[in-house]
Amino acid sequence: MFITNYIKEIFNGVKSLLTGMRITGYYFVHPKEIITEQYPDNRATLKMANRFRGEVVMIHNENNEHACTGCSACELACPNGTIKIINKFDINAEGKKKKAIDTFVYHLELCTMCNLCVIACPTDTIKMDQTFEHSVFDRSQLTKVLNRPGSKIKAGVE
Amino acid sequence: MLSLENIINGIHTWLNNTFDPTLALTCEFVLLGITAIAIFAVLGLVLVLMERKVAAIMQIRKGPNRVGPFGMFQTVADTLKLIMKEGLTPDGADKVLFNLAPFIVMIAAMLLLAPIPFAKGVQMWDINIGVLFISAVSSISVIGILMAGWASNNKYSLLGAMRSGAQIVSYELSAGLSVITIVILTGSLQLSEIVNAQQNGWWIFKGHIPVLISFVTFIIAVTAETNRAPFDLAEAESELTAGFHTEYSGMKFALFFLAEYINIFIACAIGATLFLGGWMPFHIGNWEGFNAIMDYIPSSIWFVGKTFFLIFLMMWFRWTFPRLRVDQLLNLEWKYLLPISMLNLLVVTVMAIMGWYF
Amino acid sequence: MNTSDILFYCISAFILGTGVLAVTTGKIFRSAISLLFSLMGIAALYFWMALEFIAAVQIVIYVGGIVVLIIFSIFLTQKSGEEMPKPPLSKIWFSFFSVLVGFIFTYYLIHQYGFGNGGEQPFELKIADIGNQMLSLTGKGYILPFEVISILLLAALIGAIVVAMKIKNKSE
Repeated sequence: MFITNYIKEIFNGVKSLLTGMRITGYYFVHPKEIITEQYPDNRATLKMANRFRGEVVMIHNENNEHACTGCSACELACPNGTIKIINKFDINAEGKKKKAIDTFVYHLELCTMCNLCVIACPTDTIKMDQTFEHSVFDRSQLTKVLNRPGSKIKAGVE
Repeated sequence: MLSLENIINGIHTWLNNTFDPTLALTCEFVLLGITAIAIFAVLGLVLVLMERKVAAIMQIRKGPNRVGPFGMFQTVADTLKLIMKEGLTPDGADKVLFNLAPFIVMIAAMLLLAPIPFAKGVQMWDINIGVLFISAVSSISVIGILMAGWASNNKYSLLGAMRSGAQIVSYELSAGLSVITIVILTGSLQLSEIVNAQQNGWWIFKGHIPVLISFVTFIIAVTAETNRAPFDLAEAESELTAGFHTEYSGMKFALFFLAEYINIFIACAIGATLFLGGWMPFHIGNWEGFNAIMDYIPSSIWFVGKTFFLIFLMMWFRWTFPRLRVDQLLNLEWKYLLPISMLNLLVVTVMAIMGWYF
Repeated sequence: MNTSDILFYCISAFILGTGVLAVTTGKIFRSAISLLFSLMGIAALYFWMALEFIAAVQIVIYVGGIVVLIIFSIFLTQKSGEEMPKPPLSKIWFSFFSVLVGFIFTYYLIHQYGFGNGGEQPFELKIADIGNQMLSLTGKGYILPFEVISILLLAALIGAIVVAMKIKNKSE
């Protein structure tokens, strides 16, 4: 019937509107639900979400050793040329030449935080860090060298 | 007891004793004008802040909280910014009409302030056609909007103005019909008499279901008439940038913005006067003690409280419902609100004749 | 000359000025706006005469209804923003002549009959009296025209609802 349909339509419409209003009304009377992070004030306690990616860093242990073999897998994986690996040849104990990393150049200004380099790394030496305060006055400062000065490859990593 | 009525009467007698009647009348006009402008300024500041706070809390945000305690001076700062800004007039605009439009909208809003009873005995102009006057003058503001839209020489403005015009013209029908139900029950167009008729109970309680229906249609219709979300097609920012006030800046924009909030206040004040008893305190039957306590609260507090309750309701709508499409908007009016309010009018008439209300 | 007279002449000058603007301006939208102001001035004149009901009805019907419709139709036409061409000389002469005839006719009527004296008593108008007069059967009551207009308006409203409620053909 037309009339019963009409009344049912009105009834359902009002009911769905009230459902929506109940949700916003609930939030209005429960100010504890507020999720705003007042960022510069809560800097000390700020906890970023797990999946947040801020920049690429290289993992170093306490002896200033990293696991980077200079394989350039990350450089190949990067979609927009953010990473540039410059290798050198070390001479190991047996007098043999061995490929090792000289500088790991990382252009933060080009990086889209896609995480592909981290996935590509065979030795898990780079990871995504959660720092995000990257503002500087000159873009050249955003070009970073990830391996620390004087660091060398961890023993046993091929 | 110190009340608004006594203060006003005191000023009136003092002026009449000190000066001759013409000068006293002029003085009263000037005082009224200053009061109206002051009310406007304060209302604008308070309502904008309230809107932002309500919106924020409903969206689980904090809202303005930097300028002053709880961000209380945020709107003052915004107003200062708007005053300092340059009021641009676009090159291709019709300069006279472009600059005239905000004032038309503002004047219409100011005129609407006249017949509203703010408290017991506090009413600027107790005109005998109160309700009709309000529906007449509120139709002037649509002219201001149409003017602004056309004079801006901008397609967004023109579209926004046309939408707003169609919307206001069609929703005025159901707003008028729902107001008429109260006029039928009271038997008068005068706002002070409508308030006095609610001495022993507000119409929304006395008139039970039919008045409740007309209250709901009234609220929906005035939400649409004031161009507020979910009916803000006239300034739908995602489609028309800002609708009819796209080209306005600085103080001229501020006037439109202010007029929007003043119109909300007036619409809610009228709703409170018609359905919720205006400045009449809340009384329950024969509970003398309870009624005496309620009488102790000043009438102006009652009025402001009811009005702000309705304003809060409209803000609640705005931050809950998504915007309607144009065809949905017109469907709602012509398919649902108008038939329902016409039928409701018939029911109320029968109710008034048979005396089926409390 | 008291304040009331000054107000009267101000309102009249406003009506006449905006009326002249409405027919002389080159832009059609401005003409509509001038017409609007002229009609509002007439409403102001009713307020000046303390005939609030007629004033409000004047605003509702002319300002809120008719001028809005005119403006809408202007919006929907092309070239509404452009300056209209100057009318030919013959047209100017013709309109001048018709204005003159109209003015002479009105002046003649006023001259012959004069204005009736409304009396010194202020005119009290109750809304209830208007309502009773509209619905009364006797004593120059307006029941018949009132009912005819009511039926017309009701038919228009119901027609609008019927148009809006038209159930769409499923096959389309």
